[in-house]
Parts: sequence; structure tokens; C-alpha cells
Amino acid sequence: MTVLKRSIVLLLLTGYTLFAAGPFLWAAMMSLRTTTEIHLDHFAFPDPIHWDKYPDAWFNSNYDTYFANSAQVVVAAVIIVTVIGAMAAHCLARYRFRYNRLIYFVLFSTIIFPPQITIISLFQIMVQYGLYNTKVGLVLVYVAIQLPLTIYILESFFARIPSDLFDAARVDGYSDWEIFWRVAFPIAVPAVATTIILNFILLWNEFLFAVVLITDEANRTLPLGIQRFIGDTQEDIGMIATGLMIAIIPVIVIYAFFSEKLIQGMTAGAVK
Amino acid sequence: MARVTLQELTKVYDRNHAPAAERVSLEIGDEEFMVLLGPSGCGKTTTLRMIAGLESITSGTLSIDGAVMNQVPAKDRDIAMVFQSYALYPHMTVKQNLAFGLKRRSVDRQEVARRVAAVAEILELSPLLRRKPHALSGGQRQRVALGRAIVRDPKVFLFDEPLSNLDAALRVSTRSEIAALHRRLGATMIYVTHDQVEAMTLGTRICIMNGGKVMQVGRPLEVYHRPVNTFVAGFLGNPPMNLLPALVTDDVGGRTLAVGDSRLTLPSERMPPSAPGRQVTFGIRPENVALRAPADGKAVQVAGEVTQLEALGAETMVAVALPTVSAPITARIAGDAALAVGQRCTLHLDLAASRLFDEDGTALNPSHQGGGP
Repeated sequence: MTVLKRSIVLLLLTGYTLFAAGPFLWAAMMSLRTTTEIHLDHFAFPDPIHWDKYPDAWFNSNYDTYFANSAQVVVAAVIIVTVIGAMAAHCLARYRFRYNRLIYFVLFSTIIFPPQITIISLFQIMVQYGLYNTKVGLVLVYVAIQLPLTIYILESFFARIPSDLFDAARVDGYSDWEIFWRVAFPIAVPAVATTIILNFILLWNEFLFAVVLITDEANRTLPLGIQRFIGDTQEDIGMIATGLMIAIIPVIVIYAFFSEKLIQGMTAGAVK
Repeated sequence: MARVTLQELTKVYDRNHAPAAERVSLEIGDEEFMVLLGPSGCGKTTTLRMIAGLESITSGTLSIDGAVMNQVPAKDRDIAMVFQSYALYPHMTVKQNLAFGLKRRSVDRQEVARRVAAVAEILELSPLLRRKPHALSGGQRQRVALGRAIVRDPKVFLFDEPLSNLDAALRVSTRSEIAALHRRLGATMIYVTHDQVEAMTLGTRICIMNGGKVMQVGRPLEVYHRPVNTFVAGFLGNPPMNLLPALVTDDVGGRTLAVGDSRLTLPSERMPPSAPGRQVTFGIRPENVALRAPADGKAVQVAGEVTQLEALGAETMVAVALPTVSAPITARIAGDAALAVGQRCTLHLDLAASRLFDEDGTALNPSHQGGGP
């Protein structure tokens, strides 16, 4: 690549990075300033830097509770979605049985429905079964809404695993259950990591179902907690920014942890 | 080791289609190397997978050492299989791949380590034990796949076209490794291939299949020299046996065979017990067709025109069109042939090595005919 080409690419990438990271940096700066300071100058650098806003948000504005709730609900939902989704995907990709494709189509077709369609009936069901305003209820809803997409992503990956590997494991003496856990699942780790990241980020930021199904202060998740700082007549923009930064940390951590798995070519060399 | 018996084994995938394997009966002796040979879709892999327990058996009986295996799951049959695609677990190291089958069988850790080390030593895999499959060459992967089978010390080894993904040079060396392995282990091995060189060089016996059915079972040279039908005759050999339409006729000198314009007088014991006017197929291997008359002068001459020459260095394939015969006759000539396309030449046929086939393709007097040992 010539120097000129390289410079153009670098310039474009720098521009894109600024465009993508700009709002994040702005929010990060605001998280260290008070609302009054922000109103005076929207774009100024923090001066003085209000580090104390973080402990203040965490301890005095209930962010510790919201964070714990979000963590519990999202981690539980992601684990369940991943395990059930992977099993279902493996099953649909690997076994020939009657209505296999029909089941796959029905599951997949639920992706196209906007969530607003189901929300009223879902609300009714949750109230009826005593799951309204509970974290367990929210976990179940999150599992249900993320499962089709998870199965869809994983099914295509599982289908690409050569069936010879499963035959080899069968001849090696393993049962179907063991083959899933010891052969199929480990090979599918890159795809599973993708769905974990995707589901984690989507559910961590999920607002619609949470706002409808949770009203109790003790069960609020982070997006609902942040919403609490938006009042009817005014909003505490400084505290919202601090809350946002607290909320964003796990997403960055999870992405940093799993992104390496995404680019690992685990199946390279499995079969020629 | 083990004796494997297939009795009328049939596999039907779809009732609307012909069976993938139909009434396959085969007796594979202890320590025997049986090769299932045939073109793509002939049912050889299906048969192997039924033996492995990877396909259910529609009808018939499969037994290993007298015990019926039809309903026994693959994991309990005590067999090992080497796959065409190697089927190495990509997330495991070579060592883990080798040990995977043993772990399931509750072999104690020290024994696993000992056996893995021993097999790695035999197959020269010791320096590669920590590598994952993607960091191995094709030949190394195939050796790991072999090692994974050997380490288990199974009753029966099954091979499903294990060499077809290797390049030509590696194929030859791995072929000899497998042959050496069979001699060393003295194991019962069943080997599927469509490559007749593999079949001829490896097999104690060969089972030739076509259209889901067994065509012929026998020792390699026996099958080569005494094919029981035109399919086997045309499938084995490169180039295959020349198969020419012929007519049984009565001539002045007695019963003869009319191949085009030529009259061939076969030795009396080889002449079919057929009435004159019967259509048969005359078969002769290219190596039994010569450009020069043999020393004993027993060969029969036919004349034709050279249509194709393939000089391969050590030998030359000469295709000659005989007058009024639809298919050309191919001769395998040692060294170079001083001929040109379009030139007329005389071929000398060694009729003692010829075969005759009935109209439906089955060999006539199969026990008496053939030029082989």
C-alpha cells in the first residue's frame, strides 16, 4: 500500500473513531461535572473534576441496587438463553426429525414481530402468574425475547460443524448429551461468544419490557434507574451521565473479554 | 481381534428409492483386511457405517464374533473408525484427540498416558502432541486420525476412504503405513475406497460393489483375472478390460467367435456351451493384447487402425479400432510404440487370458476361464 493510500485510510478511520467515540467522551466528561456546570457550558472540560459524583451516584442515588438488579437479571437471562439456545440450535442443525424446519421457521418468524405487539398480553400473563414486578419474571421475558435470534445465529454455526466429528465421537464411545457438551459446544465457542455479547448488550440496555413489567424501586434495573433522574420539568443531566458511565462499564468489560473469542478460527483444520 | 459377518444387510433411506445397500452378505475373517471397492454411490460407505453403528440396519443381520450387533449402539461395538475428513476435534490438542476415546472407557490416567505415548511413538507424532489440528499438515492429521483408532485397541478397524484427501505422494507413503500397521497389529480391518490401486495393494480380499449390491468377493488378483461380470471387468484395471460384442458362430473349422470381421477360435475348454447365433461379450485385458506375436505363436491376430496413442514412458496405451466393432480395443505395450494415429497395425490377442460374458453380463464358465494365476 502506498503512503498516500495509507494516509487516506488513517484519516478516514480517525474521522470515524471521533464520530463514534465523540458522544461517549462527551458523556464521560459530563459524568465528572455537576448539572449546574453543564448548563453553563455544555462542552467544557471538567474543572474541577468531580470524582465524588461516582460514589454519590452509587451510594446515595440507588445505583448500587439498580446495578445489582441489572446484573442478576441479565446474567441469569444470558446464561439460560445461551444454554437453551445452543442446545436447540444443535438439535435443529444436527438431527433429522419431522417438522424440524417448521419449528425452525416458527421460531425464526417471531423475530419479525415488534415487541410492542406482545407487551399487553405479556403484562396480563405476568400479572396472572404472579411474576409481575419480579426479577424472575423479567428474566423469563428476556429469555423468551432473545431465544429466537440466539437460535438463529447458533443454528447456522452448528450446521457448519462437520457431522464426521459427531460420528467420530459416537464411535469413541460418547452419548449424544456428552457429544453436545464435549464436542459441539466447545467448537461453537466463537459463535456462542457472539450471542453472549449481543444478548448481554441488548438486555443490559433493555428498557421497554423493564419499564412495563417493573415498578418496584427495589427491582429496577439500570435503564429504569437512569430514567428516574429525568423529571417532568427538569432533569439531573449530570447524574444521568454518571449513571450512564456506571452502566457502560460491564458492557466494555464483557466485550473486551469475549471479543478475542470472536476472531478465533476454532474450526480451522478440523476437516479438510 | 474379530470376525465380522454381514448377512443380507440392507439399508433403505427412502422407500421411493432403491436401497442404498441391498442384501449385502460378507464374511470377514479374523485379522483379515477386507476392502470394499466401488464407484461413488455404490453403497460401500453405507455398508461401513452400518457396521460402525452410525446407520441403522433396515434388514439383515450384522454380527461381530457371533454376537448380533444390529441394535448395539456405536459406542458399545468396540470398533474404531478413520474418516475421510480425519474428523479431528479442532478444540483439542493431538494428545487430547488421541486420549479422548480412552477417557470415556474409564482407562486409568497412567495407562492413557502410556498408550498415547506408545502410539505417538509408532506414528512419529511425539513432537506434535501439544499442537492443535489446524497447526498440522494433511499427512500429520491423517496420522493422528490413525493413532486415535489404534490407541483404543479395538476389535475392528474401519476406514472410510482415509487417503482421498492426501496428495499423490503422501497417499503412497500412508498406504504403506496402513499396510505395515495391519501386519503389526494383526487386526481385522474393513477399508472403503474407490481407488483400485489401494484395493489391490492393501486388501487380503476385495469386495466389489455396485448399485448397493455385492458384485464379487475374492483375493485381489483372483478378482482382477477372473471377474464374474462385465461390471467388475470394466471397473478393475487401468485401462479396464476391453469388452467387445461378439457372436458365437459355427465355422468350417468348428465353433468360433465373431468379433467384428475377425473370427476367433478359442481353446475348446474356453468356448461357451452356447448355440451358434448367441450374442456374448468378449473380454481381454490390455496387457494380453500385443503388437508382436508371442514366442509360442498361440496368439490370434486381428488388424485395425490406431485411433489413439498414450505414451506414459514405461508403457504405451494403443487404442485400435477394429473394422465393424463399435468400441476400440486398447493394448498395453511396454516402452514406446513405433506407431502413429491413423496407421494400420496387427494386434495379437492371447485368447488363453480372455473372458467371455453372457448377454446379461455374467461370466460364462467363470471357474474355467481367465488368464490369471
